[in-house]
Amino acid sequence: MRLHEHEAARLFQQAGVPVPPFVVARTADEAVAALSRVELPVAIKAQVLVGARGKAGGIVFASTPEEIREKANTLLRSSVRGLAVDAVMVARKVPIVRELYAGVAVDPAAGGIAVILGTAGGIAVEETAKERPEALYRRIVVPPEELRGHQARALAKEAGLHGELMVRVGDILTNLFRVFRKTDAMIAEINPLIVTPDDALWAVDAVLEVDDSALFRHPELPTDPLARMEHPLEREAGKIGVSYVDLDGDIGIICSGAGLGMATMDIVGERLRPANFLETGGGITEELMYRVTHLVLRKPGLRGLLINLYGGINPIHEGAKGVVRALREKDVKIPVVAKALGNRQEETWATLAEGGVTVVTDITTEAAVAALCARLESPRSP
Amino acid sequence: MSILLDKNTRVLVQGITGRIGRAQTKWMVEYGTRIVAGVTPGKGGETVEGVPVFDSVQDAVKATGAEDSVFFVPARGVKDTVFETLEAGIRLIVVVTEHVPVHDTMEMKAEAKKVGATLLGPTTPGILTVGEAKMGIIPGNLFPKVAGRAGVISRSGTLSYEVGGILAKVGLAPSTVVGMGADSVVLTDLPDLLRLFAADPRTDLVAIVGEVGGVQEELAAEYIVKEFRKPVIAYVAGRCTPEGKRMGHAGAIVQRGMGSVESKVKALAKAGVHIARTPAEIGDIARSLLG
Repeated sequence: MRLHEHEAARLFQQAGVPVPPFVVARTADEAVAALSRVELPVAIKAQVLVGARGKAGGIVFASTPEEIREKANTLLRSSVRGLAVDAVMVARKVPIVRELYAGVAVDPAAGGIAVILGTAGGIAVEETAKERPEALYRRIVVPPEELRGHQARALAKEAGLHGELMVRVGDILTNLFRVFRKTDAMIAEINPLIVTPDDALWAVDAVLEVDDSALFRHPELPTDPLARMEHPLEREAGKIGVSYVDLDGDIGIICSGAGLGMATMDIVGERLRPANFLETGGGITEELMYRVTHLVLRKPGLRGLLINLYGGINPIHEGAKGVVRALREKDVKIPVVAKALGNRQEETWATLAEGGVTVVTDITTEAAVAALCARLESPRSP
Repeated sequence: MSILLDKNTRVLVQGITGRIGRAQTKWMVEYGTRIVAGVTPGKGGETVEGVPVFDSVQDAVKATGAEDSVFFVPARGVKDTVFETLEAGIRLIVVVTEHVPVHDTMEMKAEAKKVGATLLGPTTPGILTVGEAKMGIIPGNLFPKVAGRAGVISRSGTLSYEVGGILAKVGLAPSTVVGMGADSVVLTDLPDLLRLFAADPRTDLVAIVGEVGGVQEELAAEYIVKEFRKPVIAYVAGRCTPEGKRMGHAGAIVQRGMGSVESKVKALAKAGVHIARTPAEIGDIARSLLG
């Protein structure tokens, strides 16, 4: 789950990372009122969960109260990369002589945590990573080990920093690492980390993505992951406890397992257009399948539904009852094809067939897609 | 011969008294697995499917000589339980549990390395050695009764079932099917599993079922070039999977350009791996390689 910039900035600040003073505003009045706590000039930043916000017009600057009112007003009525802006962060604008990059992230190849310091910050850092990886300095820390102060300073020194600056960048890295560990983060990032003409350091952006699987032990985190989902069907799926991604096509897909879901998309994508990606994980019950079937059918313009399940950990014979109950309730006329194999498959097939579903018993997903195509061409033949 | 597990392995089931633990213990016993004990703290003295339940791993090991363990333990208890299990001397642990915090996984991986244990998962369907035994949730009825010569390693659970069944359909059978887990950090890396198949005289080729994200397939490609001499077939799922909304650069920097289906397929093809565009193609290629 990604936190909003202002939420991440607050956590960074509490851990001792220098963050310019800021206020969160939901109206132009609140943005102007920020001047009681934030000095001019200011940056006004849209609080939307997208990258490259600056390029998309999500960051503007103001030097007078009137300018704040006008620009905050415009920004709060706009959207950035399709996301409506309902809050802005009004922060002191700091003068820049140099931009650095500081990041901490889970490194899957190392099975540890990568601490990264870059001497070129800003949006270009990703290109820097590709074109000049030598401009990024990294150290791997394997938990439960911590990042020690001397290790962080050594990294800063390696990156060419000296004296006080080296020491303070080292402190920022250890503090960032501490937030990362404390919040069970996947990514904690300051980009850019600004050096001012008087050699002060400021984190002028804050990115924090925390591990959804660890949210149970973080009641202190400010947010509810469901509230961050923009699409109503995606939010609904989150409530049921399954993953749903809305797509442009017209073939509904329900799969058990992410890998099977992706393979199904690959195969469906050769001949038809998926309307969604939905994978149940290992928690199938009759009720869960009833609810996900309803959910997928809510998408307008659906031409067919493909269900692809395995009964390993999942009781597919129970799930089948839920599917059939939902199809009956909605009086579904579009073709529904199911491939469901594994433990108690025979019971599952009987339940589905009785509910009007075309059952495919072949092991390949290609066979299920072929059956769906055949049904789409001549809807009456079962 | 097989890798990791055979019909003589004395298996412990942790979290045996839960709904899933009970159901899966039944399937494992029916498949022929030698389940000698279960553990659920507070439930010592009970039995599940005729298997005695103990309060701690140490008690179970002492009483039954359990060698390897499979976990149906809730996500929040997994790390603690792994440390308990390693302390009791067990050196193969299969973590079926999904949604384990990744920071916990990193700590468990470091500990496993320190003590020389093999941990599989999290989010793994487990291991199935055809015709002998299974640890985890892979449904036995999808596979032939008699083992064959194809090793299967899969990141996804359900896709490992599909590929096992596809091999059976073209008249081949797997030797051992191993799920490595789908999380970004996995407890055992793909090259380490390939190394086990390299040493297994019963396995003549290996099918890798990969997926978009992470760097396991790229690590495997490096290892294969260096020293793996059996034929390898790979399918990487996720060609048509939409990219999530992404923010922040650290993920991309860490991945160093790896992680996409293209990057994985390119690395594997360069390493001489036969690339399948769909799971079903794995069957066709395996057929042509093994005759």
